[in-house]
Amino acid sequence: MSLRVLGLNLIKTNRNLLQTAVKNNGAPNAHAVAMAPYATQVTVQATPAAVQKQKVSKAMKAYLERANEHDEFMKTQHLEFQIGKRHLANMMGADAETFTQQDIDEAINYLFPSGLFDKRARPSMRSPEEVFPARKAAEFDETGRPFHSMFYTGKPNYFQLLHDIVTETNKLNDLEERMLRRGNKPDENQKLEMAGSQLLRKEQLERVLVEHIADIEYQNFTSAMERLIISPYAYKSKAFIERFLKPLIDQSKQLEVPKPKIDEQGRQYVTTYECLRKTARADVTVRLPGTGKITINGQDISYFSLEECREQLLFPLSYSKMLGKVDVEANVEGGGPSGQAGAIRWGIAMSLRSFVDQEMIETMRLAGLLTRDYRRRERKKFGQEGARRKYTWKKR
Amino acid sequence: MGFVPYTTLSSLRTLKCCRLMSMYPPHFAEPILKKDSEIINKKDVSHVPIKAAPNDLSDSIFYGVLKNKLLKYITKKGNGSLAKQLLTDTLETIKRTQIERLNLINAEKENVIIDTERILVNAIENSRPLLQLSEIKRGGVKYQVPIPLTEKKSYFLAMKWLLDAAREKDRKVHLPDKLAWEILDAAHGQGRVIKKKDDLHRQCESNRAYAHYRWS
Repeated sequence: MSLRVLGLNLIKTNRNLLQTAVKNNGAPNAHAVAMAPYATQVTVQATPAAVQKQKVSKAMKAYLERANEHDEFMKTQHLEFQIGKRHLANMMGADAETFTQQDIDEAINYLFPSGLFDKRARPSMRSPEEVFPARKAAEFDETGRPFHSMFYTGKPNYFQLLHDIVTETNKLNDLEERMLRRGNKPDENQKLEMAGSQLLRKEQLERVLVEHIADIEYQNFTSAMERLIISPYAYKSKAFIERFLKPLIDQSKQLEVPKPKIDEQGRQYVTTYECLRKTARADVTVRLPGTGKITINGQDISYFSLEECREQLLFPLSYSKMLGKVDVEANVEGGGPSGQAGAIRWGIAMSLRSFVDQEMIETMRLAGLLTRDYRRRERKKFGQEGARRKYTWKKR
Repeated sequence: MGFVPYTTLSSLRTLKCCRLMSMYPPHFAEPILKKDSEIINKKDVSHVPIKAAPNDLSDSIFYGVLKNKLLKYITKKGNGSLAKQLLTDTLETIKRTQIERLNLINAEKENVIIDTERILVNAIENSRPLLQLSEIKRGGVKYQVPIPLTEKKSYFLAMKWLLDAAREKDRKVHLPDKLAWEILDAAHGQGRVIKKKDDLHRQCESNRAYAHYRWS
């Protein structure tokens, strides 16, 4: 918190600085205005156009003021960031010159440990370019005339993008027609592979455009892009399309499979700790080769009296055809029967990855066995009987 | 200094229509079991995150999607294990009746279905309605307008009717017995549920003149 307070104080002092800066900036402008009548008296008669060129529109003036202010602000922020970085480096006993962003993150994590769940809510220190969103440069010249033909739409970059997409689509359609007339077919080998990528999300697109867009406008963007991508000749404008695609992570290769260890009896084993489901917590050990023995807290499968829970335990084993080939030992605490069974099921599935091939891991993932079920009990709300149920309504 | 509190709410807004209040983001897909995974292209799903398998999903031979759905409808006050017991008893009764019938019959033994799953599916498919009457007010007069049903709704109605018929019984008769009779009747294309469905269809047919009120 101290960081934040410090920052706020600094910002206050900055504001004062900025005000003086603006005042200073204002002075020469005023000077120029005062000079203007003098200039007209001497030369204007001959060249009125030249004078008009010097005239700065109100919009431009306001913009320049704002830009100046922003520049100054960014400069002070940058300075503060550098100072903060040096302080951090000193505190951590490291060299300030070679202190990287990763070091900063580690230092903040160490000095300001936070129990907040959301990572974005925890304290952090990053360079001001990352923290403050980028701003647009001037969109009009000194006379106030906009550069962009779509300036008055309010969102020139967005509408330009839509325009580009449609131009691209029309081009492809024309090409398709020409090719059809000639009897040519699109190249199947060059077909665009869309499975591994995704269109930019709204926030990302906004960052690219430096403009805020509404939900409906984002929808228009996605539908226009889809129309472009569907085209059989989409590979012709691959470069354009890829500007708005984000590669997805291959889910099957995301988690590293642990190497099995060897126990004193010479059997391979893998232990998965922290298997969580609802409020239950378990650690599961799977041993290969085995006879299908299941031990839960020292008991066998009859630890669970419910049939559904036992079925859950056997699901990953039978699904990967390892039933009767491995032994399972589990310690579980907390939660009820179904939560405990779910925790052990996840632990068994995660441990089994070490004993099956890559294809089986993928089928297990598709069955949802390797996903941690992080659904929790929904809290009760005040003024309500439970999470969703309302009190019976009585008039009086 | 770049201190960033959690400020942007834009990430909380979702564009895609998904189940409200779901813990999973909208791009998470439902689990795909081995049987179904033969149909899909593995390349397409290799990048899609999958929801965790629910705790009623399994690959046992006793698992069925329709059966699972019916279980949810039988359940009262969250007592799922009782519902499971009731459904198991129902299927057992059906099996006993069918085997008895098989032993009584001398000829055409192939026509008697002993597979309870198939009987259940047949019963539900037979009692699925296609249309529904819904009240629409036009010019101060209420019209019963026939409206086509979605697949999901029609399955729901079929199962609900079967259960309603089973629950309307003597106190001394147990639900599994009555449900078994209703299911067997419906599987053979007779009984109260089938009659209810036919009645509804007949009414829809007689009210077909009002069908245009659905859109005008």
